[in-house]
Amino acid sequence: MVKVKICAGSHCSLVGALNILETLEELQEEYPDQIQIEKVECLDKCEDIKKAPVVKVDDELITSAQNQIVISKVMERIK
Amino acid sequence: MSKLKGIYTDIVKIRRMVFAELAGLALKDAECEEFDKIPYRIIDTEEATYRSSIFKERAIVAARVRMGLGMDYETNQEHKLLSEGIRDFLNNDNQLTEPLVNVIRFACEKCPTNAHFVTNNCRKCLAHPCSIVCPVDAVSIEEHAAVIDQEKCINCGKCKEACPYEAIVNYERPCAAACGVDAIESDDYNRARINQNKCVSCGQCIIACPFGAIADKSMIYQLLKSINRGEDVRAIIAPSFVGQFGPLVSAEKIVAALKKLGMKEVREVSLGADFASLHEAELFAEDVPEQQSYIGTSCCPSWTYIADKHVPETRENISDSSSPMIFAAQSVKENNQDSKVVFIGPCVSKKLEALSEKVKDEVDFVITFEELAAIFVAADIELTKVEAEEEISDASYYGRAYANAGGVAEAIRQNLKEKYEIDPPITKADGLADCKKTLTKAKAGVLEGHLIEGMACEGGCVGGPGTLLATNRGAKNVSKFAEQSPYKFAFENDKLNDRD
Ligand code: SF4
Ligand code: SF4
Ligand code: FES
Repeated sequence: MVKVKICAGSHCSLVGALNILETLEELQEEYPDQIQIEKVECLDKCEDIKKAPVVKVDDELITSAQNQIVISKVMERIK
Repeated sequence: MSKLKGIYTDIVKIRRMVFAELAGLALKDAECEEFDKIPYRIIDTEEATYRSSIFKERAIVAARVRMGLGMDYETNQEHKLLSEGIRDFLNNDNQLTEPLVNVIRFACEKCPTNAHFVTNNCRKCLAHPCSIVCPVDAVSIEEHAAVIDQEKCINCGKCKEACPYEAIVNYERPCAAACGVDAIESDDYNRARINQNKCVSCGQCIIACPFGAIADKSMIYQLLKSINRGEDVRAIIAPSFVGQFGPLVSAEKIVAALKKLGMKEVREVSLGADFASLHEAELFAEDVPEQQSYIGTSCCPSWTYIADKHVPETRENISDSSSPMIFAAQSVKENNQDSKVVFIGPCVSKKLEALSEKVKDEVDFVITFEELAAIFVAADIELTKVEAEEEISDASYYGRAYANAGGVAEAIRQNLKEKYEIDPPITKADGLADCKKTLTKAKAGVLEGHLIEGMACEGGCVGGPGTLLATNRGAKNVSKFAEQSPYKFAFENDKLNDRD
């Protein structure tokens, strides 16, 4: 089970977190028992907006997250 | 709907960063010189990332800055520092200048206009149905593949349908394909040009252009300055707002955050929708079919502009009822005459509606959800950590459902059934092209007795260009929020009695 925490704070939401969340939720439909998604409040990593969006895949912190990066990290752990 | 709607791309990122920078400077009461730095802060790489050169990238950001302030962008024929032009404009306390939606000419990459091409999927098959079905003999079979003679081709698409290998594509200019009223033409350099006589300011082309060459103007700066000056600013927020700011940000949190930003009061525009649906039901009951053979709804400004500009014969059948925005603004201003009202919504064309004679005293500013999200970031308001205070319960289920396609007509129908025992036939126009088609039908007299709902954005207001969420997600949030309303029908909403 991969645990993904996705920041849904103001900064992260402005710069694409909602889109990553959407993609993740779609992926979850395909692997319902292997992905757990938790939307979390601001993780305080966004003083510099260039660090947003912030996503945690298990213990790995990803800053300036993009769809492809997050999805590939998740897929690595599923396989 | 444009394929790009709801996808977060670098174009979206740059647009939002510009909004956040403008908001930041407005909040700080910064000097005009600070604006000169924005292009360098946003494009801060050593070499170009997106275009032929970094100077061009910055020039495009500068154009966005000017438009973000409500000004025309400069052509590249005149030398002027960004800050200079801005100083003149802002010193005169200017708002937003028309036209609202513009192609930044030097950002346009001159995409080929509508044409059919053969791709390398072509196997030069023996049957070659493409050349057989072509009514104008434009497809010939050459040495390696089929070739379409662009001079002869009439873009009927028959070859594309006939090819078993999907080898033929129809290449459309994304901006023009998104514009269902054919307002996008080409200038002498083959760049896209918006014909303002046809444009209805819906903003769909802004979303559709894959080069980010089209933008609208904003009032972010003027709004924040007004708050800074200590003016009594009150917000009315359109029904599609729920969920736009992320899954953890409830309607109540959004209200609290707006107060933190300096708004004295926040009301749902859905309250205005309840007024409007009752008013439009009354007009329908009184006038149809004796005075008017059909009535079109009035809430979508682009829809009314389509009637104005494209099918003027139908204009007088578009209800002259005020829009929900106007009703909501009036109900705020009635009790607070010196206040300024900002409409926050998904809509680009509301910016134009607010400049019109009829509305300019009621609504002072219009900003989109996307612009507001950037303002929250600039003001360092963390939405997930704001404490929700009061409940928000201004409107009925049907008033809140106005944001989804079909919702407006349904609300009016419920009122007609209850109050006048009328259940009229309903026609719903969804999207620009459908709006134009429907009005053309109405003009031809085939929609006698109909209540016609027109929404220029596909899916209704939740599909507006100023939203952050994908349309289907927005629609789900709206329905859920509508369920929580204390009233089902507009006529049950006792908040309306405060008024008359
Ligand atoms: S889609 Fe954009 S780049 Fe292409 S022609 Fe239209 S405005 Fe120009
Ligand atoms: S009508 Fe809409 S899509 Fe067409 S040019 Fe105007 S804003 Fe763009
Ligand atoms: S909003 Fe995501 S870390 Fe602050």
